[in-house]
Amino acid sequence: MMTELAEGPTHVGVRRSLAYWNQEFQRIHSPILRYGFSVVSVALALGVALALRGGSYYQFREVELPVLTVAIALTTWYAGAGPSVVAVLLSTACFVYFFAEPIYSFEISPRELPYFLIFVAWATLVASFSAVRRRIEDSLRQARDNLQAELEQRRLRENEIRKLNQELANRAAELEASNKELESFAYSVSHDLRAPLRHMVGYSELLQRQASSLLDDKSQRFMRTILDSAKRMGNLIDDLLAFSRIGRAETNKTAVDLQQLVREVVAEIGQDTKSRDIVWKIGALPVCYGDRSMLRLVVVNLVSNAVKFTRARGPAEIEIGCVDRNKEDVEVFVRDNGAGFDMQYVDKLFGVFQRLHLPEEFEGTGIGLATVQRIIHRHGGKVRGEGAVDQGATFYFSLPKAQDAVERTANAP
Amino acid sequence: MTTLGRILIVEDDPNDVELTLTALTDYNLANEVVITRDGQQALDYLYCRGEYNTRSTDNPAVLLLDLKLPKVGGLEVLQQIKSDERLKMIPVVVLTSSHEEKDMMRSYSLGVNAYVVKPVDFHEFVNAVKELGVFWAVINEPPPGSVKK
Repeated sequence: MMTELAEGPTHVGVRRSLAYWNQEFQRIHSPILRYGFSVVSVALALGVALALRGGSYYQFREVELPVLTVAIALTTWYAGAGPSVVAVLLSTACFVYFFAEPIYSFEISPRELPYFLIFVAWATLVASFSAVRRRIEDSLRQARDNLQAELEQRRLRENEIRKLNQELANRAAELEASNKELESFAYSVSHDLRAPLRHMVGYSELLQRQASSLLDDKSQRFMRTILDSAKRMGNLIDDLLAFSRIGRAETNKTAVDLQQLVREVVAEIGQDTKSRDIVWKIGALPVCYGDRSMLRLVVVNLVSNAVKFTRARGPAEIEIGCVDRNKEDVEVFVRDNGAGFDMQYVDKLFGVFQRLHLPEEFEGTGIGLATVQRIIHRHGGKVRGEGAVDQGATFYFSLPKAQDAVERTANAP
Repeated sequence: MTTLGRILIVEDDPNDVELTLTALTDYNLANEVVITRDGQQALDYLYCRGEYNTRSTDNPAVLLLDLKLPKVGGLEVLQQIKSDERLKMIPVVVLTSSHEEKDMMRSYSLGVNAYVVKPVDFHEFVNAVKELGVFWAVINEPPPGSVKK
């Protein structure tokens, strides 16, 4: 809007007239010129006054007052305060010398005194008015200049904003494109990578079926290895796809009762671990705010990890509880007395496909904790792990409290 | 086994065709199986045109449909079938490698009768194909106008 105005013809006219007045009122800078201006204008005024008084055809009365005050006004206007005082003093002197009785002397007769006073008062008044006017004019001009500068700056800023917006839009488009690409990539992986795997498994099984009587033990073992590897790769692909889906899926956030969720998960996992001696300790857990199915995945991952890594313990102890950290967040932990890990590798814990144990010690693809981290990050929380080799491990995740989250949503504009 | 419905399989991958047929043969379900290798051929079969213009006009008892197909894709075939008065009664089972929710949603919104993800494990795969074959070609009573033997 503003820029359009600035480019319009009206504005060009305004600008030109502004430039004219700018020049007109440019103060004279050199002090010699300014005081010279003062002296010269008073002298000129005196000359004019004297010429008009000396027998002219026209009738001029008391001409010295207006003429001298004009000189004072002009001086004040163009030359400033100092020269203005000089002009007032000079004109007063001239007035006393040339026009007040007795003429051609610096004395003043008592009869002329009131008129002299009036002259002085008038001259001072004109000078001061002129000075005030000048000051106002100056500040106005300054204000106008500031305004203009601001306008210019705003125009620049606006351009910059527009440029940034454009960049942002480009970036969003790029991101969207790469996101689409990623999605179609995941799709291809899902579909095309799985098919050959299925064939590997299928034909190996068929071969095993067909030729099992002909194969010796070693060949049988090779066969089994092919099958296991293919299945393992299938699991890896599935896990990786599930992991990438978590990043893309929309979260459906509600109040989630963690206590209930954990009890459900423990009951489910307990079904598969009936043969093991596990002591479960479940502390009081709060209601928090999040996507239930995703949070369930977090709990399942952490609890099944705890179960897995306490395999060699009898009894295994698994504790699930929470630490009330502050008003906004709640931190939940899952603690076990299992294999633990070396804190030296703590940074690798949550990486995709990162494993701290050999596959023959503990099975797994190394995606579980990466999934946990991704889900918790999407909920605005944090994850961390603590542990020591053979001393067990504790995994923490923080989540916004339900009460707080509800308020936050309610207060949002 | 009293009657056996005809199964129309739409599958581009020859290995998948062989594995599926192996599974069906194991359970004596392979007698009435027709294989088409892309969406175009499947539609030609259903509309009795092209190479299939001489076949009897009965509909198959079930269609096992892969999604990723050359020429005409599986979802397009499904859409075509479900928008045709004469074909829309044919039970269609999507049998695919895709776990993608997008595909699942699209298939169901087009009116698919079942959606099965091909398991990587061979035993599970054989089992899934068998169950599908037994259910749709034997147990299920197909709509009128289907081939029965």
